[in-house]
Parts: sequence; structure tokens; C-alpha cells
Amino acid sequence: MTGFVSAGLIGISLGAQYALLALGFTLIFGILGVVNFAHGGFYVLGGYAAYSCVAFLGMPYPLAVIVAMFATGALGYVFELFVVERVVDDHLATLMLTLGLYLMIGTGVQAVFGPESPQFSFPITGTLRFGGFYIPLENLVVLAVCLVAIGAVYFLMYRTDLGRGLRALADNRAVAATQGLRPKLLFPLAFALSCGLAGLTGALVTPILSLGPLVGEPVLAMAFLTVILGGFGSIVGATVAAFLVGLIEAYSVVYLGGSKGALALFVLVLIVLIVKPSGLFGKEARGA
Amino acid sequence: MKTLKKTLFAGAAAAALFAASPVLAACELKIGVVGGLSGATAQWGLALKGAAEYLAAEANAAGGGGLKVGNELCKISTIAVDSKATAEGAAAAANQLVSQNVKFILGPVVTPEATGIKPIALRNKLLVFQNSFAKDAIGPRWPLVFHEGPGPSVWADSIVKVAKTKFNIKSVVLVAPNDQGGTDITSVDIEAYKANGIEASEEFYQRGNPNFAAVVARVLAKNPDTVDTSSTAPGDAGVLVKQLRQAGFTGTIGRLGGPATDEILRVAGGPDVLKNFYWYENVPLEDPNIRAIADDYKKLMGTAPPENTMLYLWVGVGRLLFQAISNAGTITDTEKVAEVLRKLPINDKNLGKGRWTGKSFFGIQQEVSFPFGIGLIVDGKVQPILRAEVPEVD
Repeated sequence: MTGFVSAGLIGISLGAQYALLALGFTLIFGILGVVNFAHGGFYVLGGYAAYSCVAFLGMPYPLAVIVAMFATGALGYVFELFVVERVVDDHLATLMLTLGLYLMIGTGVQAVFGPESPQFSFPITGTLRFGGFYIPLENLVVLAVCLVAIGAVYFLMYRTDLGRGLRALADNRAVAATQGLRPKLLFPLAFALSCGLAGLTGALVTPILSLGPLVGEPVLAMAFLTVILGGFGSIVGATVAAFLVGLIEAYSVVYLGGSKGALALFVLVLIVLIVKPSGLFGKEARGA
Repeated sequence: MKTLKKTLFAGAAAAALFAASPVLAACELKIGVVGGLSGATAQWGLALKGAAEYLAAEANAAGGGGLKVGNELCKISTIAVDSKATAEGAAAAANQLVSQNVKFILGPVVTPEATGIKPIALRNKLLVFQNSFAKDAIGPRWPLVFHEGPGPSVWADSIVKVAKTKFNIKSVVLVAPNDQGGTDITSVDIEAYKANGIEASEEFYQRGNPNFAAVVARVLAKNPDTVDTSSTAPGDAGVLVKQLRQAGFTGTIGRLGGPATDEILRVAGGPDVLKNFYWYENVPLEDPNIRAIADDYKKLMGTAPPENTMLYLWVGVGRLLFQAISNAGTITDTEKVAEVLRKLPINDKNLGKGRWTGKSFFGIQQEVSFPFGIGLIVDGKVQPILRAEVPEVD
């Protein structure tokens, strides 16, 4: 029983991290129709931005996290405005562009900071224990931030004019444009929001795990898997799938072993895609 | 007539000098370097790259400005290619080096890379010096592949004996990646633990997984008094240790795999987090003669040496390789160089006397084994590295 509950707690912690990542990833696809392969790169940038603020500028960590989120968001805004926007409807071009950006980010970070992990630790240490269960305090912080971020994104998308505008563009760009909505203004904002979320995740998670120029690769793979499982473009789907992935990963690793854990995840995704090709909460086709 | 005699004499003297001493010609010896220069194994790859560059600089600075090969002085250059610690990366790197007429390769470091490079070495007659801890790291099938050793078959037993006495180990779980880089070394390590009366089992994870929380839960369910991080990549090992401690594990941590203590300390949070720790160290680092390499590196390269102690071993085997090339008098005939290399005594000016090993374990006596070190952290205090001579395993 102890092992079952512990695995559940680990799964929720993992799920919170995946949800933060998947949320931004699915936003971009849902609104712009772009599969952002640079998402893992913005995660890395968020980590290094927070690390730089703490190590070189002496900022307190919470402030560094906020700076990292806005810095990556700003970079995402600029990238969308000047690069992606020109070919936003060409899926292949945007895929190659974002992949290229990811490679540039990885190489650039390595050139500046070197390939080895810098010393970047979460400021809160310690583990909450109750009975035979435990959860590191830092994971609780990530979970709390994740819940706040999910709430904020939901509020933004469903309770504000900006969110309604973005959803209208996602639903049918041509009709939305005739209603006065301007994709060239809103798309960079959506991209900035997504990249900011990736940066926030990187700033929060890399001091818990490790920071390095290539740590975005497995993260991107996991975000991709989560979003496919949840249904491309669905915010609800990404959130539910992230926690589902976290729980499945934790339970399968604990009960089947580390090697079979990864296998179990992919088998699950395969089954879901065979039964429901659009994912758990995905629509049959995007309108944009 | 007097002038003619003088001219003839001067000409004869010049000819004699020309014949007696090596000349600076357009001879260039290219040394390929293949290793993971980015990602979680970067610390090992960078030590290898640093060593190769240092070796080249050392040879180029010595004597007439290059390595004496037959009647020529060959300037040494290095070409490093990042294999990203993968088999396909190493194979691609080797092919790229072949296209640049490289015949001698230092590296790679980890097992997947070694698996990828061996067929390329065989096909192109490349002389490769690699470091993998795989059970088939070298073998009669690859006569031009040499091993920078010693490997776990040589050192595991000696370290387990010291660790058992020091930390009273009764049970251990080894954690390693689920590819050959993990499975091979854990099987050798487990034999060493069991031979010393310690209950041992293994847990594997998918390489590239940055989060060990679930693996840790599985490990702790076995209730071991020791967890061995085996051949996990340096960056991953730090995360694993950190998460083990967060989960409440207070026992000893070991590392019968590639040394990565500095990175583990950095990522995990210092010696207090590790508390009781033992590891295989590449060299007995307390030896001032060995440490002198670091000082010389700084002097020659104008920068601090790479952090990982693998640097020292690569320097040792690199010098051996250069000696063999020089003695064989060729920079193209790798078979001839290999023949000379196998007969060379191992006695490095810094690392000391070593032995050729590998016959009983690999079936081929092509493993260079220098004396190694046993590292210990006891109650959060880093102890001096113990020196261990190469046991007579062959």
C-alpha cells in the first residue's frame, strides 16, 4: 500500500511538470497550427536564464524564475513575429524552422556555458514525510506553480477577450479576421505565452533535476507524447494527459521496472491512437 | 681549388646531417578523437579531447617540433567529433574521420559508442583506443581495437573489498542504463559483489530519462544498505543521488563505473549529501607525479585541464600509442603499429608502471592497465585516493 501511494505521489509530481510543458506546446498548435519543435529549447533557455540571474546577478530565485519566464516569452514573441509569421501556414516550414531554432539554442547555450551541468540548486530543500510516504518540498512548489499556471491559462483563454480572440482564431482564422481579429498581433502573443510557460518550467524544474544544453530533448519528447495522447490543440486534453502520463510512468516503473516504464507509455499511446486517432480530447480536424 | 674543397666538405657535412637527423617535412599525423562532447557524458568526452590536444601539443613541443617517425618529424594534429555518446554518432564520427585520412583514433568512451565504432575500425583498418566497459569492448575479432583500461574485470573486486570493510556493506542495488553500457558493467560488478558475500541486484532505466523518482522508489523497496550508481552518466548520477537522499535513503552510495565524482558532488549538493561514498578512480590522484600532468597541461595549453580524471589515463595511453607509431616508423600502416604496440612495455613517466591485461576476460591481451585509485568519502569528508596496483588477473 505504501508503495502504491508513493508511486501515485511521484506520478502527480511528474504529471505537474509534464502539464506545464504540454500546456504551452498544445497552445501553439491549437492557435497557430504550429508544432513547435523549439519548445524544449525554451525550457533550456528558461533554466539558463534563471541560473544566470541567480549566479551572476545575485537575484533571489523567485525573481529569477519570473525574469526567465518573461525573457523566454519575449524571445518567443520576437521569433514568431519575424520568422514563423512569414510561413505560419506552411506546416513543414514551421517544423523545420522551430527544429532549427532548437539546434541553435542548444549549440548557443553550449558555446556560452559549456556542456557540463552548472551548480544550480533549488533554494528549498527537504522532504515532507507522513507515515511511509514522502514528497520533496521542491516538487510541491512545482505542483503549486503548475496548478496556478493551469488556472491562469484557463482564465486567460476562457474568461478574457484576448483568450476569446485566440480561440476564435484557432477555430476559424478567416471568419475571425473578418470580425476584426488580427492574427499578426495575436499570434506572437500566443507564441510568447507558450514559450514563457516552457521557460517557467525550465526555471523551476532544472534546479530540481539537472541543467545542461541538451536537457530539452527528453522534455520535448515527453511534451509531444503528452499532447498526442491528450489530443493536439486541446488544453484540457494536455492537462489530463500530462497527469495520466506521470501516473502511468510512475506506476509502470515502480511495478514493472525502469525499462518497461517507457515501453508502457508508448504502448498506451499506440492503443489510444488506434482507438481514437485524434487523442483523448482532440477534435477530428483543426479549423484553422 | 681550396674553395671547391670547402664547398664539397660543407656539402658532405650537410648531407651527413640530413641523413642522420629527422627532417621537418610535410608529415602530418592526424589523431581522431571520438566521444560524447555534449550531453550527460560530456565530462568524459571533454577529458578525452583535452588529453588528445595536450598530447599533440606535448609531442609538437618536444625535440625538433613533432613526433619522430622513421626519418621524419611529424606534426600532430587532432580532429574531434562529437558522437553524443551514441552508437550511430560514433559510427558517423569514425566515417567522417576516415574521409579525412585519419588512421588512429583515441576514444570513444562509453559502450554504445564502442559498439558503433568497431565495425568501422575493422573495415577501414583504424587503430582505435577506446574506453568502454563492455564485456566485448575488445576481442580477437577486432585486432586493431585496444582498450584504455583497466576495466571492471580488473578493478571491481579490489574496490568491493575496500568498500565492504569500510562501510560494512551487506546488500547493494546497482542502477544503470538499460543498454549495453549499463547491462555489461553491472553484470561484472555484481559478480564482484557476490564473490565478496554481498547480496546484489540491479535496476535499469531508459537512458536520457532525467527523472529518477520512480526508479528510486523501486530501488528503496528492496531495502538495500548500499546503492551503486554504476555506469550512469555523470549528470544523471548526480540527479539519482539527490533523489535517493530526498527519498530518505541514508545508506552508502557507490560507483563502480566511470568516475564522475566532481559532477555528482555539484549536482547532488556536496560531500554532506553523499556522506558515505566509494568509487573507482582512474588514477591514484594523490601521486604528485600524476598530478604533475595537470600543472604541465596548464603550462602548455594555457588553461586549466578538464575536470575528469580520465584525462590522465588518456595521456598515458596516448603516449604509448605515439611511442608505437614512432617505433614502427609509419603513420599509415596501423597493423604494423599495432604489432609494435602489443610488445611495448607500459611505463609512463607520470603514471608509472602498468601491465597489459585482457587475455582472460576479453580473449586478447590488448588492455592497457595502469595502477588505479579507490576514492572514499567517509561521513561527508573526502579521503585521499587510495592507490591500487593492477592485480595479476591474466
